[in-house]
Amino acid sequence: MNHIIVVDLGYGDAGKGAVVDWLCSPFGNAPVHTVVRFNGGAQAAHNVLTPDGRHHAFAQFGSGSFTPGVRTHLSRFVVVDPLALAAEAWHLASVGIHDALDRLTVDRDALLATPYHQAANRARELARGQNRHGSCGMGIGETASYALCHPADAPRAGDCATPRTLTRKLATLAERLADELGPLDTPPLADLCDAYRVFAAKVPLVDPDYLSRVLHAGPAVFEGAQGVLLDEWRGFHPYTTWSTTTFANAETLLAEAGATATRLGVIRCYMTRHGPGPFVTEDPTLELPEQHNGRNRWQGPFRVGHFDALAIRYAAEVTGGVDEVALTHQDVAARHELRLCQAYQLDGQRVERLEPGPARDLQHQEQLTRRLLRARPVYDAPGVDWQAVVEQTTGAPITLASHGPTALDKFLSQHHPARDHVTHMRGTPR
Amino acid sequence: MGSGRWSTDVYTAAARFRAATGASAFAYSDGGARRVHPALDPHGVDIRESRDSAEHPQSLAIAVLFDVTGSMGSVPRTLQAKLPQLLGLLLRKGYAKDPQILFGGIGDATCDRAPLQIGQFESDNRMDDDLSRILLEGGGGGQKTESYELAMYFMTRHTSIDCHEKRGRRGYLFLIGDEMAYPRIKRAEARRLIGDKLEADIRLEHITAALKQKWDAYYILPEGAYYQGDTEVLDFWHARFGQNVIELADLDAVCETIALIIGLGEDAISLDDGLADLADVGSVAGPVVSKALATIGAGRGELIISPAPADLDGPSGNIRL
Repeated sequence: MNHIIVVDLGYGDAGKGAVVDWLCSPFGNAPVHTVVRFNGGAQAAHNVLTPDGRHHAFAQFGSGSFTPGVRTHLSRFVVVDPLALAAEAWHLASVGIHDALDRLTVDRDALLATPYHQAANRARELARGQNRHGSCGMGIGETASYALCHPADAPRAGDCATPRTLTRKLATLAERLADELGPLDTPPLADLCDAYRVFAAKVPLVDPDYLSRVLHAGPAVFEGAQGVLLDEWRGFHPYTTWSTTTFANAETLLAEAGATATRLGVIRCYMTRHGPGPFVTEDPTLELPEQHNGRNRWQGPFRVGHFDALAIRYAAEVTGGVDEVALTHQDVAARHELRLCQAYQLDGQRVERLEPGPARDLQHQEQLTRRLLRARPVYDAPGVDWQAVVEQTTGAPITLASHGPTALDKFLSQHHPARDHVTHMRGTPR
Repeated sequence: MGSGRWSTDVYTAAARFRAATGASAFAYSDGGARRVHPALDPHGVDIRESRDSAEHPQSLAIAVLFDVTGSMGSVPRTLQAKLPQLLGLLLRKGYAKDPQILFGGIGDATCDRAPLQIGQFESDNRMDDDLSRILLEGGGGGQKTESYELAMYFMTRHTSIDCHEKRGRRGYLFLIGDEMAYPRIKRAEARRLIGDKLEADIRLEHITAALKQKWDAYYILPEGAYYQGDTEVLDFWHARFGQNVIELADLDAVCETIALIIGLGEDAISLDDGLADLADVGSVAGPVVSKALATIGAGRGELIISPAPADLDGPSGNIRL
């Protein structure tokens, strides 16, 4: 079975949504059975634009949803927010997808992000003031950290079907957070429980072996959220997320089912980042079109900069290598003078590679962050062979190129073994 | 990465899951509600606002108010089910950049539980929540008259819309129904239902004149409604709204009709463009809309642009080309 894992090798926003949409479309890996989410939660905003002009920012539903019949599974590694699911399904209906909830399954063990977590998260971010971490305000990190401290008490998706357990866990959660942070602005417990109960009545909450059956029933696309450079262990601490953003969770789920997958790394022709943290090649003078990313109250500004081969190579290495690369936003690269950084000037020395440190060593990651904040980019002279550099940087062939927002703007590159097979189906390269 | 744009409150989420499980989309009405939902109660409302914002700099106010009484038969239900598509249709085809839509219900102030229900202007799907909260009247009808005059009074005196105040562009108001208005806004009703203390009754003519200063107002009369074929109602609205009276053969086409009227009014499209757009999005409403809009589509004389107040910095009341 030809499964694919899609992971962003940057800070997020590389175009995973559009890539997953393409993979699920008739041009891609069809017929895809299910898009599996394996990290993050409702904070995702994977933008998909259809050729007929419909747009949706996919948060919890898989970005393959515009293709009829493609299902979404939220694995146990996802932090599930049922309230946001309701809102997202509602919007999907307005862009013509009326059966989103009917195509959704949720692993019982997935953690629940609740209004209590969100209120606590926002209270903490506000207290940090200028030193905020760039959290999205959706309570994902709060949910994860509470579950680490109180694994047995953490509300999980499966609890929605057992009102007594759910009420007890939510009450305990509310009490602990209020003790720590003072009164939080949250809805009444009974009303929240009611909403979760009707969620459980609508959406199948499944056991872990469900995914194994799916993976033997048809091709799956594993859709990663955020980017490897934001990984909780491998990112530039403390400017990271509470989520494992590498291939690791997806590989775990595949291994449980005795399945394997192609590892597809998604890269933009330039770098982008929401919120604070190291960004060596940042260039505020770059004026690039950005249709769907703007300033967010909880994350701060949207930043852009030039292609950073050191950071991308670092991402590819810490995530254990990629099999193939999707290079997106090539239309932007064609119209703007983008540069290529293959070395830093750091403490008087020229640095050409960021050595991955030991696993799970946040002290090392913090030192790395401090070094990066001192580093200055050294840019190549114009006229470099982009594709060659990207392939050399990642050690993998570019198999999918994106020259625009919709599935019609993607095409397979020379290297792809399936190229001849699908050539007649793809849009014309511009 | 992103902004968590799909966050919502527990009540809305619960209602949506219930609706998806097969429970009624008109949960409020069907849940046995006897009075206007607090969110839609016009009593004590100072103004309903449609404002520009960083995210929506070119706000365009659109209000859709429909008759919720028994005389309309299944029409209110069809509207409740159809109208959520309106926003998507406007945005998808670029007829309006930043539409802000308000939904409301109209009954009979002389006998109904819900003579006037008014939601909020919303730029996203939140307006659908208002729609699902609208209380539908069971009985009623028969007098050929509903309290449209109160709705027009409210929309004239109790709305503040940036498209008009800052850019001199009127908003769009659609009344959907099959009856006539009462000849005057009665003091007692304005007080009881809206909370306004009027010195005296106001004549309908005064309100329709004032209304048209702020709103490009249309009356949509569904064919198949109770008084079909009887021209008294039609004549009544023609006398007040001129060519802006639309007879609609198939109510399923209501969103497409409204969207095209706005597209035409904003000079975003010609009628032919609009009909082509409808075919594009897979709508089969084309012939119905084409027939309904034949008059306004052919000779759009009535594009009134009122001048913006002189003390405004923003662009004045130019017609966008």
